Amino acid sequence: MTRLKSILGYTAAALTVAATMLTPFLLMNFFTRGVAATGLRIDPVYTGGEVVREIARDGYRVRVHRAVYPGTPLQRIEPFVQLDWTPAAALPAQVSEEVDLDGDGQADLRARFSVPRDPNAELRVDVEPLGPRVKALRGVGKESFHAMIARVGEAVVVRVPLVTDTR
Amino acid sequence: MRLLTEAALLGLASGPACLASCGPVLAPWLVAERAGWRRALGLLSVFLGGRLAGYLLFAIAAGLLGATMPLGARARALLFAAAHLGLAATLVVYGLRPRRGRPEPPLVTIGPARRSWMPVLLGLFTGVNLCPPFVVAAVRAMETGSVAGAVLFFLAFFTGTAVWFVPFAALGALRVAETAATVARYTMLALAAYYAYLGILTLLARLLDG
Amino acid sequence: MADHVATPDSRGIGRSLLLTLPVALWALLMFSRALGVPGVAVKVAALLTLIFLVTLFFLMVRTRQTNRWRRWFFATLGFLFPIGFIWELIALRGSMSIPMEKMIAGDTPFCFMVIPMILLPAALTRTVIFPGAILPTASNPHSIAVMIGLWMAATLVLGKGWCAYGCFFGGIEEGIAAMPRKARIRKIDGRWRLVPWAVLAAIVLLSLATLAPTYCEWLCPFKTITEYAEVRSIETAIQAGIFLSLFLGLVIVLPWLTKKRTQCAFFCPFGAFQSLFNKIHIFEIRIRRDECKDCVSCQNSCPTMALSKQSVADGKTLINCMHCGACVDVCHKDAAVWHIKGTPVGAAPERARLLHLYAAWGFAIMFGGSIIAGTLTKMLGFLG
Repeated sequence: MTRLKSILGYTAAALTVAATMLTPFLLMNFFTRGVAATGLRIDPVYTGGEVVREIARDGYRVRVHRAVYPGTPLQRIEPFVQLDWTPAAALPAQVSEEVDLDGDGQADLRARFSVPRDPNAELRVDVEPLGPRVKALRGVGKESFHAMIARVGEAVVVRVPLVTDTR
Repeated sequence: MRLLTEAALLGLASGPACLASCGPVLAPWLVAERAGWRRALGLLSVFLGGRLAGYLLFAIAAGLLGATMPLGARARALLFAAAHLGLAATLVVYGLRPRRGRPEPPLVTIGPARRSWMPVLLGLFTGVNLCPPFVVAAVRAMETGSVAGAVLFFLAFFTGTAVWFVPFAALGALRVAETAATVARYTMLALAAYYAYLGILTLLARLLDG
Repeated sequence: MADHVATPDSRGIGRSLLLTLPVALWALLMFSRALGVPGVAVKVAALLTLIFLVTLFFLMVRTRQTNRWRRWFFATLGFLFPIGFIWELIALRGSMSIPMEKMIAGDTPFCFMVIPMILLPAALTRTVIFPGAILPTASNPHSIAVMIGLWMAATLVLGKGWCAYGCFFGGIEEGIAAMPRKARIRKIDGRWRLVPWAVLAAIVLLSLATLAPTYCEWLCPFKTITEYAEVRSIETAIQAGIFLSLFLGLVIVLPWLTKKRTQCAFFCPFGAFQSLFNKIHIFEIRIRRDECKDCVSCQNSCPTMALSKQSVADGKTLINCMHCGACVDVCHKDAAVWHIKGTPVGAAPERARLLHLYAAWGFAIMFGGSIIAGTLTKMLGFLG
């Protein structure tokens, strides 16, 4: 029994050394693919959630994402919906438009923001609620994940907080 | 009857949210107790009693004040802050003091023994967190139009949420080593710091908003 | 960096070279791509790193001492990593802070310290509570899948030894702790060892309750030398203050005063998490009771207080042993020995040590070596 345990021990030790050699060629790739295959997604608080509608405009489009709600009472975000104006390069210098969030033909909000030529310039947005779902924003920049405007890649992203309990 | 069923179902549906709020407090506390099955169930009952007390106080207020009960953002935030500060204080006292009547291992010798009513406080402060399901329950309770109706509604709501807490008794029954119990007590102190911060921040934000 | 180590007989040069040969070949393989890339800085950096790491291994083999030489690698990694990382951030963004738009775009590099916090939320919600990318992108090669894959491989090979051969943060304390001749604070209550477990439990529970990486948002001292959320409010300013205070206290001041790795031993929740894997790791350090004279040199030498009076009496280390070998190096009676689980304790400790070193140093060359070479490339390129 002692001999068997020793053999197993040395075998495991040798396999550990082998695992080191296999790490850059096999193991790391294997584990990476395994993680990717789990189907995990990034929390929509960060990504903004999936796109549910696209509204075509003149030369650009507005993408409406699925509303994101806090998953627990202690999660420190309010419910919000993300809107992307893309491509940013095709936007007029001043954007002021109404957006229908749920496709019922009724505009839910009016968003107003300037689009400076400098892509690194700070942005500010005003949101006027036109329906009961949306909260107002006045001169908001990057206050929080649930109320903000920023240039993200080729899009101007606006996140509008929703009135609580409007699922 | 229909109303009570609605309340119980609302409570059941709110269970995961309740667990997310109360779990961080319950888990280390029950591990630290090292109580065994029976005593763990007893402690859990006392904790749930504290939660029930919080619910019923709210129910009585909802029944008495009716539609005039302030449930707006400011009132909720102030109550949230008070509950978190109370919870933080209770966690600190609980974390630092050994239990009365049992010889504590040498690792934990700070302060005199604590009282057995502390689980009630833990339950009270975690129960009153005014999460959306709680607010919905409060609004429905107010709509009953009477104190008795509101109390019954919250009792049924509480029963629905309480079902989710029963498995926690298993933690208390673990009879972990004294090291693990000490880690659990330190965890409570760490959590106290977080809840205190949340409470102070919420209070300051509301006071500054005017 | 010399402590009062025991000095066993050295191994012959010829035999030492022979035993070093596999590591030298491995290092050549790992750096072969860099050596083939056009550009003097890349080649010189790769060569310097290769010589450095192979020389240290040779010395570990020849002198039969582990920690005495390992520390040089680890401290070098600890000091060069932040230089290279900050350099890259400034080059890419012009700042160490992460703006919100980068988080939304999934450009935040994933750090292994987040792993304990994301597990339960991922199991329950099937989402990762971190503003990164699952798969690597051009702007974020350090994606979640890649870093977790790397961590899994590292855990298989090193177990808790990650804290002695892999972690690019621990070397800072290691280097600072080695500088003073004597510790100013010598008596440290053993209960402090339990704090990392409490921090781990608290951040796991809070991350589940808040669906946010609590340690990254509030407690990580190494935000000071890597990256942090833009300071745009009182709350983010408080967070920055906490990071800075913890870094100065736990990573600079206390290691200097105690000659211990105080952040690792008394705070780091990832270290506590990684300790769990010591239960299944095949290598360990044991104490031979029949040789031990209870001089407590091993306990005093351990940078993370992984030996207690009781554990030594039981012939083993505590669960938080990171296999650095400091206790073995310092033991004058050869009571503290390297051991492979399943084999008789003390039967062939040097064989156990060498097998452990082949695995651990092989990983160190692959991972830490690439970081060292990368930073040296930047520095040489700047100078040249």
